[in-house]
Amino acid sequence: MQVRKAVITAAAPNQSRIPTQQLVNREGKDKSALQLIVEEILSSGVEEICVVIRPDDQEVFEQAAGNLIGSLHFATQASPNGYADALLQAQSFVGDAPFLHLVGDHLYLSTAEQSCAKQLIDVAAEFSCSVSAVEATRENKLPYFGIVSGTRVPRHEGVFEVQRVSEKPTPTLAEQELVTPGLRAGHYLGFFGMHVLTADIFESLEQVNADASVPHATLSDALDAFRTRHQYMAFQVAGSRYNLGVPYGLLMAQLAIALSGRDREQILSEMVELLAQRAPIIHDQSEQKA
Amino acid sequence: MSRLVEIIQSEDDALRHQSLQSVIGACTSGELLEHCAALENFRRNEQNLYARVRALFFLSAIYRYHLPATLEAEQVTSKGLIPFDGYEHLLARRFGEAIDSFLMDQTNDGPSDALASALSQAYHQLAFQTLADQVRRSVRTVRGNQWMFRIGHPADHPLRLRRELLAADPTSGAMPLLCETTAVRMDLSHSAWSDIFFLGMDYPSGARVLNISVDLGVRGRDSQPRPPIETYLRVIDQPVFRLASVDLKASADVTTIGEMFDFARDYLGLLKAAVIAAGVVPPGLEGCGRPMHELLQRLVGPGMGLELVSKINDIPKGSRLAVSTNLLGSLISILMRATGQIQSLTGGLEETERRLVAARAILGEWIGGSGGGWQDSGGVWPGIKLICGAESGEGDPEFGVSRGRLMPVHEVFDEQRASSETRQKLQDALVLVHGGMAQNVGPILEMVTERYLLRSESEWQARGQATEILDEVVAAIESGDIKRIGAATTRNFEGPLQAIIPWATNRFTDRMIDACRQHYGDRFWGFVMLGGMSGGGMGFLFDPAVKPEASEWLGKMLVTVKTEMETALPFAMDPVVYDFSINDRGTWSELRHGNEAMMPDRYYQLMLPELLRTPLRDLPVHRRGELQAIGRRCAEDQLDATASTLLLQSVLPKEDSSGDNDESLQELLDRIGFDVEQHEQIRSDLKNGRIGLSQNRLMSSTTIRDVSSDHVVDLRRGGTAEASKLGEEAIRGGEVAVMTLAAGVGSRWTEGAGVCKALHPFHRFAGRHRSFLEVHLAKNRKSAKAHDGVIPHVFTTSYLTDGPIREHLKRHEHFGFRGPVHVSTGKSVGLRMIPMIRDLFFLWQETAQQVLDQQQQKVRESVRSALMNWARSAGEGNDYTDNLPGQCLHPVGHWYEVPNLLRSGVLKQMLDDQPTLRYLMLHNIDTLGANVDPAILGSHIERGSTLSFEVITRRLEDRGGGLALVDGHPRLVEGLAMPDERIEFDLTYYNSMTTWIDLDGLLAAFELKRDDLGDTAKVDAAIRRLAKRLPTYVTLKDVKKRWGHAQEDIFPVAQFEKLWGDMSALPEVDSNFFVVPIQRGQQLKAQAQLDAWNRDGSSDYIDSLCDWNA
Repeated sequence: MQVRKAVITAAAPNQSRIPTQQLVNREGKDKSALQLIVEEILSSGVEEICVVIRPDDQEVFEQAAGNLIGSLHFATQASPNGYADALLQAQSFVGDAPFLHLVGDHLYLSTAEQSCAKQLIDVAAEFSCSVSAVEATRENKLPYFGIVSGTRVPRHEGVFEVQRVSEKPTPTLAEQELVTPGLRAGHYLGFFGMHVLTADIFESLEQVNADASVPHATLSDALDAFRTRHQYMAFQVAGSRYNLGVPYGLLMAQLAIALSGRDREQILSEMVELLAQRAPIIHDQSEQKA
Repeated sequence: MSRLVEIIQSEDDALRHQSLQSVIGACTSGELLEHCAALENFRRNEQNLYARVRALFFLSAIYRYHLPATLEAEQVTSKGLIPFDGYEHLLARRFGEAIDSFLMDQTNDGPSDALASALSQAYHQLAFQTLADQVRRSVRTVRGNQWMFRIGHPADHPLRLRRELLAADPTSGAMPLLCETTAVRMDLSHSAWSDIFFLGMDYPSGARVLNISVDLGVRGRDSQPRPPIETYLRVIDQPVFRLASVDLKASADVTTIGEMFDFARDYLGLLKAAVIAAGVVPPGLEGCGRPMHELLQRLVGPGMGLELVSKINDIPKGSRLAVSTNLLGSLISILMRATGQIQSLTGGLEETERRLVAARAILGEWIGGSGGGWQDSGGVWPGIKLICGAESGEGDPEFGVSRGRLMPVHEVFDEQRASSETRQKLQDALVLVHGGMAQNVGPILEMVTERYLLRSESEWQARGQATEILDEVVAAIESGDIKRIGAATTRNFEGPLQAIIPWATNRFTDRMIDACRQHYGDRFWGFVMLGGMSGGGMGFLFDPAVKPEASEWLGKMLVTVKTEMETALPFAMDPVVYDFSINDRGTWSELRHGNEAMMPDRYYQLMLPELLRTPLRDLPVHRRGELQAIGRRCAEDQLDATASTLLLQSVLPKEDSSGDNDESLQELLDRIGFDVEQHEQIRSDLKNGRIGLSQNRLMSSTTIRDVSSDHVVDLRRGGTAEASKLGEEAIRGGEVAVMTLAAGVGSRWTEGAGVCKALHPFHRFAGRHRSFLEVHLAKNRKSAKAHDGVIPHVFTTSYLTDGPIREHLKRHEHFGFRGPVHVSTGKSVGLRMIPMIRDLFFLWQETAQQVLDQQQQKVRESVRSALMNWARSAGEGNDYTDNLPGQCLHPVGHWYEVPNLLRSGVLKQMLDDQPTLRYLMLHNIDTLGANVDPAILGSHIERGSTLSFEVITRRLEDRGGGLALVDGHPRLVEGLAMPDERIEFDLTYYNSMTTWIDLDGLLAAFELKRDDLGDTAKVDAAIRRLAKRLPTYVTLKDVKKRWGHAQEDIFPVAQFEKLWGDMSALPEVDSNFFVVPIQRGQQLKAQAQLDAWNRDGSSDYIDSLCDWNA
């Protein structure tokens, strides 16, 4: 299975500005978040990328892409009808080919030699099926992620055959139905924001999108339908993800990139200096009241 | 291997269900001790908890019922003291250490009755602790519950409120209101309490209950039955968790997470337990010390909070319809819907969701320190269902630990199994009532567990019969034969249920069933005991043709019988009759918006006064909107007349009804000759610290040692032939009378309910329940007949018991007793006072106290801090007047009952009627074994002393002083007066209170003669003189305050007393001490003792002392 195409979704109402944020990469060069994501994708052998955006956002994204604009296509989601609907906008771009899918507000740092995207594509190629990247996630993070449960595939470290998919489950449901053996208590396989999907996914996306009982259907809803008809795996990637959409998300991502790159020493010494300064005491107003 | 260990370990049912009795029935004490050693060794090494528990119950039973009797038969007499350190371990729930300590003494000093009682108690408590631990572990390991114990900080909270609840109405601005309505459950049969968790988990095949969800209405009050439980949840614009119970008229804004775990702080404990069990404030957060808004910010959003409201339509407590468990279920369901743990936000629940709610309700009951059976959340399910225990299988947390699972399986009957016609017929025949008694069912459940584990033959057979009866009830439902249901449930109640637990019934229930039979004959189809015991919620089945009339009649009859018996049995309220219908949809929820999103009217009656007191500008936006909505509804006549009247009443001042209460208390005090001067003296002494719990104690320089055999007369093997002869002659010569102390209201017996203990029909003798009073007369009858004499009997009373006792004696014509019966009216009374904080401290911290199970202990500590606040705010040492007048007064100790006999003129009259009288046997109402034994009477006559006190060797439960050498003189010392609690454990003998009195000697102690008894002034002066020489003790007693619908609060109040045993300290009074057999001297202080008392042969012994034939 050859993966030549990729889809980035960046059409969520609160998400469209994130890919344009400026960061410094491992080599000390200024890059936009979008450029970092696109570089991650291109490094894995993908040649064409489609970005799903809101109407009127294309100009901003084109600027953010800089010199990488040549690899990009754009598709627009006319109104915010959910994650599944956003992915469906890329259907004509993808055609029948398998594709890599990333969310537009995450950055990835691999701890292995290969990038996270490359690790995932290799597993998909080996099993010739859809694979989602996952990482062990503590239960307090359940309100933020899609969760899968599965059984380990023998002799393949970190690979699972998926049995259930649930978007942002309650811990009660997770404990009853989403426990994966071999993880620590209270930990589940949470989506990493990166998937390799076969074109069969569009059938499931259309199915859940058409279901009136599921308002704003998500990719998780589609994958839970998908797994009943197609082989579907999950893979624990050797790496970390950084969500840029949460408070201090950008800062943490930047620190992680910088500390794993050329300027590590410089950053560390500047951080020590910062720490040595006497921190001003700032009271939270609500705590004062309490 | 010991045969008993084989039984425990066997997988073969025939062997496993063998009884303890069948193995050890004929053992000698040596063989019994060998069995005990084998069981002890087994239980120490056994991993399987259920095997361990059974071994512990075997051990407890051998030490309680078998070893003492065998030692008695083998005439082994040993001194048998209980080591104090063992006792301390026991109180602190260090059962293993306590057992070690008792066993070491047994090895060193040989077995004894005293040590056996201590060991039995320790094994018994350890067994229940082990069971509770296991249920707790199972509850925590149920999948879906575990995560709640891992969350340690609100920042980690993994739940979010559903968006639907956050969408304010665009026009009115009101937040949506989620409403849940839930039925209660009624059980036609629980197969002999097989829904106790432990039974279901150990014997799943025998655990089956037929359970029906019902809607209720109170006959004459509600127009039609409806689901009695309603719960409401909405988002509010203040960062607090607001809880409100409409029925208990309580609300609170919880602002810290810690407060949510403080169950006894207010009446909202059940709501708090639900919030915790639903995972909204997960149990893992206990002790995190964070403010509530941090959690709410995560869960709901910044600046937002939640409001949870409960309403149970005023169904009284003790209905035996599992109202509290189903309320818990309803609250948990609504909270789990709101947080997405249950998929369906509105409508009914799926089976998996109901199971989840039931599992959480079990958790909630454990968290709140209460307990229920596993069928109790049945109201969450629809209609008629059979609930059965389930075998544990691979994958269950219980697998390999217990045979059954914690959670049972529910088979809901469809139209085929229970047709609509059958359902209608059942409704047309069954009358549900609340008899008015609200009793604690906990001890009964403990007894059932114990019986089950011992597999005593008759009781095990009864369990089998109960199982067959359940099949019969199911078959009768399937065939629509309601009459057959009535026959089966009656047989169940009168047969197996009472064979296993005689206390399942009482005189009140028996009388009601008899009345139905007599009045309706064949048209009375039967009786159903609901829940754990009868007296509260009950069912009566009638021919549908007479049911409407029978409901009316039953309502009146219940009140009549209750009125007759209310001084003898603890009733919490007047009986009521319910209308009911079967609820076929289970718990149900709807989401209301806009103008529909209003709380029930009663909620506003509760909240309105506070809201109106707050300036409008200070109210949050939503509150203002709500007030406007109420105003609009009133203006547009949308509220019905009653609701708007009640609303108006809630904000207008009411007439102060407490004035009546004060007045009648004052009247009562005047009428019974309350001594104001003495009362003020005592208050001032109490406030100044001259008297108090710590001042009760003798000086610590006093030497207190155990007596030796020279100081007592041992009559355990009977007296001499000469003494018997002397005694017989005295009886024949009319020289002796009996004085029964019946002034007390049995604070411990009814846990402060204030009924007349003497009249309590506590046990069935010769075919029916008999009271203490009747037993004492029956013993007197037998002694008098046997020796052909006349023994006058006098009952001494107090203001609380005088009326009821006189009326009772009159109504029953002295129970056919032919000799003279007198009632000596008590003339002394005290007024209870708010306790001093230092005395509460002393009681709870200085004296050795029983520590409770972990969760219950937390609840108790929370209660205690609430009580301290109560004492502080009500004013330490002030008069306690906030209760019924009768509950504010107290008898002033049994010493006064003898002077009262002089003062009331009864003694004079007795001497005038029967001048030969020379001796008086004084005894407590609860010393059932005390009779006019000629040998003991003769021993008293032989020695010629003024007083002869009967003492017994001590068992673990015999606390409160004993016979001691105080500074070298033998005398009785009250427990209150012991300078150190440890000393009591070095005293061999316990005071039974039974005293033989030489009348002339006693009069001499008062410096009186027979002729002086007519001179009131002289008698009064003599009594005052002697009273001054006796110590005054301050005690704290629990008193119940009843309110609302059978709700009860218990307050510790201060009172004072003078005690009879201190007569032995007077140097001029010549006293003897007789050691008598335990069965003669033991006292029944608490109802919890009854079962063991019945089983160890004591009740048969009492029966043998009585002559019931008038």
